[in-house]
Amino acid sequence: MTNVRSSGTVRFGHTELPAEQRDALHKAIKLEWVTLVFLAVSTTMVFLVLGNSQAMKAAWIEDLLSFLPPVSFLVAARINRKPPSVDHPYGYHRATGVAHLVAAVALTAMGAYLLLESGLGLLAREHPTIGGLDLFGNTVWLGWLMMGVMLLTAAPPVFLGRAKMKLAGKLHDKVLYADADMNKADWMTAVAAVAGVAGIGLGLWWADYAAALIIAASILRDGVRNTRAAVSALMDKRAMTYNDAGPHPLHGQVDGYLRGLDWVADARSRIRDEGHVFHAECFVVPLSRTTPTFEQLQAAREACVAMDWKIHDVVIVPVAVLPSEFVPGNTSGGER
Amino acid sequence: MRRGGYVAGILLAALLLLTGCGSTFPADPQGTLDRARGGTLRVGASINGEWVRIAGPASGDVRSGDIPTSDVQGKDAELVRDFAAQLGAEVEWVAGTEQVLADELKHGGLDLVIGGLDDKTPWVTHAGLTRPYAESRDERGNIHKHVMLVPLGENAFLLELDQFLMAAKEQK
Repeated sequence: MTNVRSSGTVRFGHTELPAEQRDALHKAIKLEWVTLVFLAVSTTMVFLVLGNSQAMKAAWIEDLLSFLPPVSFLVAARINRKPPSVDHPYGYHRATGVAHLVAAVALTAMGAYLLLESGLGLLAREHPTIGGLDLFGNTVWLGWLMMGVMLLTAAPPVFLGRAKMKLAGKLHDKVLYADADMNKADWMTAVAAVAGVAGIGLGLWWADYAAALIIAASILRDGVRNTRAAVSALMDKRAMTYNDAGPHPLHGQVDGYLRGLDWVADARSRIRDEGHVFHAECFVVPLSRTTPTFEQLQAAREACVAMDWKIHDVVIVPVAVLPSEFVPGNTSGGER
Repeated sequence: MRRGGYVAGILLAALLLLTGCGSTFPADPQGTLDRARGGTLRVGASINGEWVRIAGPASGDVRSGDIPTSDVQGKDAELVRDFAAQLGAEVEWVAGTEQVLADELKHGGLDLVIGGLDDKTPWVTHAGLTRPYAESRDERGNIHKHVMLVPLGENAFLLELDQFLMAAKEQK
């Protein structure tokens, strides 16, 4: 198990987690382990009844790929804690982004491969062959077992996904979010695979490929979406909410606070998401003919840090005019 | 999740309804089982030791239509004869190499191919395999799990044959 004490402080780099986030992290780590155990059982079960159904194969591969986000999360949650060092002065927060990218690229590649393979199978009109299986002295159609196993494994990920989704918001963790999002949609894969096998049973051989194509398309879609999100995060996109729904509200809060200071004429900042925590560079223009004191600068910095646990690395730069090349756009939220 | 449960439920209900309506489940897309039952079972036989022996002149040649059923002997041939009897079907034997027979099976010219084949057969691109119904050990000590070839995707026929083969295996 990842080594987290349930009491005491937990840090992401030099950022100390508040109690709420610390509990969320512990819960998330526990849930990811539960997910891994579930996946180990379900991939084994599905493998045992895999047969010749393309839809089952696609569902199985999706199950295998589902190992990646939890593993990425657990690995990143460990590396993340390392304090900044001489060689890594910004800390190791990017581990999350790297893990996210690796998982996303794997999803994209497998999704594309499955889409191609299922499409070719459909074009070649290869009829999927599923025969009997000996079960307690009876020979039953393997298709029944396939459908049973898929239905059995359909529900648990949905509950896991819902629980993880809540934690993803609290921790501002995009890998956890991506994982929860995929889990929540997992039952559709199972239903598609059941429909594919049922189709074979009804003599509709193409139903299997249709189901496989649907599953492959959903894997590819997840992959492309996550790759895009992971790449733009690593490219220092401005801080977004954990689900990439919009710009993070903290940005506006920081700028608003700085602008409201009595010695400040104008302020703009750029904030990037390092993977749980934000790095902020705030440019402030002092009122004309005043020079901010060290105490004023220090107090402004500390107030920004106190706003949210996510903001820890703050640099305040007094400037004569806002450098438009560093803070493009018209407003702090970047609403152009 | 609730929606998923509904979809799955409806799906299962639809399935039970369809199976209840008398149509076989699983079904054959090409109707192999229906055609064979009380009709003709077209079987390709490839000579292979104790499993398939074919008497008569030039027994290795590709022949069809005129092979008396008594000319085809061996463990596999006996099983096929019993299976055909269970279906009330006449066996129409076709003799040839695995290559010719597998190709014929793929294009719908045969219903079944025998020839002491095992589950490592390369003909999986052309045919579906039954469950292994017998094992043998070759002179190198390798174990072979024997199977027959059926047309791809003819799942009702395959299940019927699998059930027959398993029952026959248990009787031994």
